[in-house]
Amino acid sequence: MTAVAEGFPGVSKTSAVERRPSVTSRSDRFRLFFQPIAVVVIVAAVVIWALSSELNANERETLNLPTIMTLLGQHILITIVVSLLVVAIAVPLGIALTRPALKWLAPVFLAIANIGQAAPALGVIVLFFLWSGIEGLWAVAIPLVFYTLLPVLRNTMVGIQQVDRSLIDAGRGIGMSAGGVLMRVELPLAVPLILAGLRTALVLAVGTATLAFFVNGGGLGELIDTGYKLQLNSVMYVGAVLAIGLALLVDWLGGMAERWLAPKGAEQ
Amino acid sequence: MSLWQYVTERWDRLSLQAWLHLSGVVQCTILAAIIGVAVGIAVYRSPAGSAVATALSSTVLTIPSFALLGLLIPIVGLGVTPSVIALTLYGLLPIVRNTIVGLAGVDPAVTDAAKGIGMSRTGVLSRVELRMAWPAILTGMRVSAQMLMGIAVIAAYAKGFGLGSEVFSGLTRAGSANSLNQALAGTLGVVILALLLDGVFVLISRLTIPKGVRD
Repeated sequence: MTAVAEGFPGVSKTSAVERRPSVTSRSDRFRLFFQPIAVVVIVAAVVIWALSSELNANERETLNLPTIMTLLGQHILITIVVSLLVVAIAVPLGIALTRPALKWLAPVFLAIANIGQAAPALGVIVLFFLWSGIEGLWAVAIPLVFYTLLPVLRNTMVGIQQVDRSLIDAGRGIGMSAGGVLMRVELPLAVPLILAGLRTALVLAVGTATLAFFVNGGGLGELIDTGYKLQLNSVMYVGAVLAIGLALLVDWLGGMAERWLAPKGAEQ
Repeated sequence: MSLWQYVTERWDRLSLQAWLHLSGVVQCTILAAIIGVAVGIAVYRSPAGSAVATALSSTVLTIPSFALLGLLIPIVGLGVTPSVIALTLYGLLPIVRNTIVGLAGVDPAVTDAAKGIGMSRTGVLSRVELRMAWPAILTGMRVSAQMLMGIAVIAAYAKGFGLGSEVFSGLTRAGSANSLNQALAGTLGVVILALLLDGVFVLISRLTIPKGVRD
C-alpha cells in the first residue's frame, strides 16, 4: 500500500523513493502476477467447499447465492461510490492547493486530513451514524470519503509539486498559458502518483466497507457478523474469504491501472 | 450531558480502557518489531527473498482487518488472543518492509570497510548495518503503531481490549442518552493516544539516531 510508504517521514522517505526501481518494483511485478491467482484459488476453494458441504438450515439461510450476491453488490457499490467521490473531490482540491494563489492553504488542509486519518475508521463511521441518524449506503460512504481522502489529496499535491520547474518554464517559454501548462505538462506528469494514491484509497475503501453493516449498510462484513452472532463458523469463513478476495482483486485492479493508465514516459 | 462531564464522571473506566489500548498497541508493536526485524535480516541479502517478503507484506496489508478477525475467531476463539494475533500480523508488515529497505540501503563501501578492519559478519550486521538501518526500522515501527491504534478499535469486536469497546457499546446503545458521548470519548481517546505515541516515537528517534546517520 503506497500510503504507508508515502507516510514515512525523514530518512526512509527518501530511501524508499530511491529504492523503488529495485526491491519495490520487483515485488510489485510479483504481486500483480500472483495476487489474481491467489484470489481465484482461494475464492473457488471456499465456494466449492460451501456448496458441497452439508449445511444446516441456519447456514442455508445466509449461505445462498442471492444473499451473497446482494451483500457483494452492496460492498462493491460502497467501494465504487467512495472511490469516485474521493477522486472527484481530492484531485481538483489537490490541483487548487498547488496553484500559487492558494498554496498557503495547503499545510492547513494536509494537517486536517492527517488528523482525519489518525482517527479510527470504525470510530468515524459510528460517530457519523450516531450524530446524523442516517443509515445504509450514505452512512458509510460519507465518513469513508473523509477517511480515504488523504492519500489521493497528498499524492496529487506531491505529484504536481515534484514536476521539474524547468519543464514548467519551458512550457511557458513556448507560449503555453498557465492553464495549458497545468493540463498538458503538470497533470500528465503527476498521473502516476495520483493513480498510486487512488489505489491506496480503493484498498482503504474496500477494506473499511466490511464495517458498513454496523450502520446497516450491508456488505460482506454482515456475513462475518451473522456467523459470529449465530456461531456459524462456515458463514464467518465465507464472509471473511470473500471480503479478502474482493480486497485483493480491487488492489490488483488498482495496480493494473497504475501500470497501464500512466502516460508513457511519466512512469516513476 | 456534555462530553467533558461524561469523561470526568467515567474517568476511571475510560482511563483504564485507554491504558489497555495503549499498552496493547505498544506490546504488539514491539512483538512485531522483534519478528519483523528477524524476517528482514533473514531475507535482505537475497533479492528474490526481499521481493517475496515485500510482496507478501503488501498483500497482507490489503486484507480488511475485520475479515482477518472473521478468520481468527473460529480458530482461536474470542478475547485477547485474536486481537494480539491480528495486531502483531498487521504491525509486522511496515517493519519487515522498512528493515529490508534500510538494510539494502546501506552503502556497500561502508560494509566493505567494516569487513576490511576485521569485523565478523555478525559484527558487521549488528554494529554497522542494523545501526544504519535503525532510522528506517524505527519509522516502520512508528507507521505500525499508528495503524494498530485504529485496528485495535475493530479488534475490540472479538471481546478484545481497549477503547474500541467504548465505540462498540456506544453503537449498541444508539439512541440512548450517552451513546454519542461514549463513542466520541472512545474515538477521540484513540486519536489522542495516537498523537501521544507518535510524539514518543519522535523523541526516541531524536535520542537513538546518531547525528551522522540523521539527515
